[in-house]
Amino acid sequence: MILRMLRQSWRRNPRRKLLSIATVFLAASLLSALMLVSIDIGDQMAREMKSYGANILMLPAEQAALPSLGDGEDNPLAGQSSLDESELPNIMDIFWRNNIAGFAPLLSGEVKLDDGLAVKVVGTFFDKRLTVPDEDDYHTGQRTISPFWHVQGEWPDDEKDEALAGSALARAHGWRAGMELTVGGAPLRIAGLLTSGGEEEDALVVPLRLAQQWLDMPGKIQAVRVSALTVPENDLSKRALRDPDSLDAETYDLWYCTAYVSSIAHQLEEAVSGSIARPIWQVAASEGVIIEKIQSLLIMATCAALLAAAMGIASLMTSVLMERSREIGLMKALGAHDWQASLLFYAEAILGSLAGGLLGCLAGWGLARVIGWQLFDEPLRFSWIVAPCVLLISVFIAVAGTWFPARRIARLYPVEVLHGRA
Amino acid sequence: MKKDMANAIAVETRQVGKKFGSVTALDGIDIRVGSGEFVALMGASGSGKTTLMNILTCLDTASSGEVWLDGVNAATLDEEGRREFRARHIGLVFQQFHLIPYLNALENVMLAQHYHSVVDQPSARAALELVGMEHRLEHLPSQLSGGEQQRVCIARALVNRPPIIFADEPTGNLDEENENRVLDIFEKLHAQGHTIVMVTHNPVLGHRAERIVYLQHGRIVDAPEAISATARQTNGSRAFAMAASESARP
Ligand SMILES: Nc1ncnc2c1ncn2[C@@H]1O[C@H](COP(=O)(O)OP(=O)(O)O)[C@@H](O)[C@H]1O
Ligand SMILES: [Mg+2]
Repeated sequence: MILRMLRQSWRRNPRRKLLSIATVFLAASLLSALMLVSIDIGDQMAREMKSYGANILMLPAEQAALPSLGDGEDNPLAGQSSLDESELPNIMDIFWRNNIAGFAPLLSGEVKLDDGLAVKVVGTFFDKRLTVPDEDDYHTGQRTISPFWHVQGEWPDDEKDEALAGSALARAHGWRAGMELTVGGAPLRIAGLLTSGGEEEDALVVPLRLAQQWLDMPGKIQAVRVSALTVPENDLSKRALRDPDSLDAETYDLWYCTAYVSSIAHQLEEAVSGSIARPIWQVAASEGVIIEKIQSLLIMATCAALLAAAMGIASLMTSVLMERSREIGLMKALGAHDWQASLLFYAEAILGSLAGGLLGCLAGWGLARVIGWQLFDEPLRFSWIVAPCVLLISVFIAVAGTWFPARRIARLYPVEVLHGRA
Repeated sequence: MKKDMANAIAVETRQVGKKFGSVTALDGIDIRVGSGEFVALMGASGSGKTTLMNILTCLDTASSGEVWLDGVNAATLDEEGRREFRARHIGLVFQQFHLIPYLNALENVMLAQHYHSVVDQPSARAALELVGMEHRLEHLPSQLSGGEQQRVCIARALVNRPPIIFADEPTGNLDEENENRVLDIFEKLHAQGHTIVMVTHNPVLGHRAERIVYLQHGRIVDAPEAISATARQTNGSRAFAMAASESARP
């Protein structure tokens, strides 16, 4: 009979129910979108943060002893010694290799063009194919770690004699993309003009191989910029950074196996001989913190949305119960138990919330995709865990929203409503 | 007619009083209704008819006095006990019908069965047949006239075969034709042995009952003429209305 009542009540008076389904629907779609975003935003944001540049700088040990490289603006000309290019693939063999988004070596100096002009040259990887353990087709270079480099024209091919002309340099000499220069008798094509906001704008950026040849430093590099995904620093990581040897074995393991920027830097030093890896603090330290803050902000927004939905349901249910108080009074007059009367309304609320929750999940997923596209230019991943969570929470807010009004059912005396005295 | 009275007593009150704060709605009511009797309760508006009905139907409790229904003292029942008693022993007919708007006629009758025991469609159908509604089983209340709705309401009151049917102004919202129809049904039920207590302020309808009990200012009085006669009121209110036995029907 209760099923029959539910069915008839729904069939013959769907407006109210649609309203409560709509409330749950809105809450559920907001909730699932926020959940999907907060689950995925950590990865997305970390990836996005890479656009602020590499967060670890590797230098030759002797040179790093010089002060003041903390602001990330390296000056590779300052030292004489160098690192070996052949050791670069070791970077992709460290414990936290999966957190290494990419890296690019640097070698710079001054080179005379054949027309007599002396220019600053920076050798690096653009999108260089490397042989590394575990990965077949590994490419890395400035395209990965410097997404803020704006190239007008094309990116050079690491294997061809092509270059990026820094925009300031190109402007000074009237160079355009597609022009050819000559260096040491060989042609060098300017594939594109580079706007980076850094000192590369005054230089000619060329494949590492060419710089090594012109500067007569075969197989050598002066620095490596590494982009790594890290977790926020804490006391442990700061202590380790000061002196890893001060840790006992167990804390050392804990530190080593956590993606702190300091432990990744430490592992990079182990991977490339004679190197010192320095976190570029402004970027590295803030990344994890910003992501955490954004996540907690999202969680707060989600809670607020939930609370609002529960209150919406409660007020909706209260007005439904007011409207239907005669019905409830009648049921009681006919001998219904309080729970029998309440059950009907709980069942209605739960069914409605399931419908709304299900639809809300779908809509939330769509919303999350839109948010993903808007913020990160790619859709967020759908985590299946969200669906049951949202359904459960939908039912919970429906039950919570019905609970207060349902207590009025218990207190309602049939006399009061059946004879019009409320 | 007096045969039934000697037998079982369906309803008996002893000095029932009801106060709402400082308002005395009922004051020392003594009524006795024999099993199988058809009694009309009459009185001006505000005289306490509804209040008395609510107490007799266990929807409300008396402030003082005893209410005996089918040999049970309602004053000793708690809320749960009254609910149970209502479901088992009492059929209710309201002035405003109170049908569930989204259930059809048959389902509305079945609802009373549901809260009483189990749903039994054939007997719900039979109850509707008894009130001449067999051709409107699938109609919603909104698709029925007031008279038809009231007949569904009566069918719902009957379906569990309660010992007593209470009707508070059952024809208050009906036109004359439907009034008569409803009264015809009550007479038919009475003839079948049902005990009926009906509130009305229409004297014509009141006189179709076996006996009329007059209420005035929360007291039982002898006859409508007594309304202004305070002297007679004191006499009347002490006498058992039943003992007066001024049966209206020839
Ligand atoms: N719930 C209540 N609260 C306060 N006063 C009430 C209540 N119910 C009835 N009364 C008062 O009791 C008296 C009798 O009312 P009622 O039984 O409804 O009369 P009738 O049904 O004969 O018109 C009236 O004076 C009415 O105002
Ligand atoms: Mg009344």
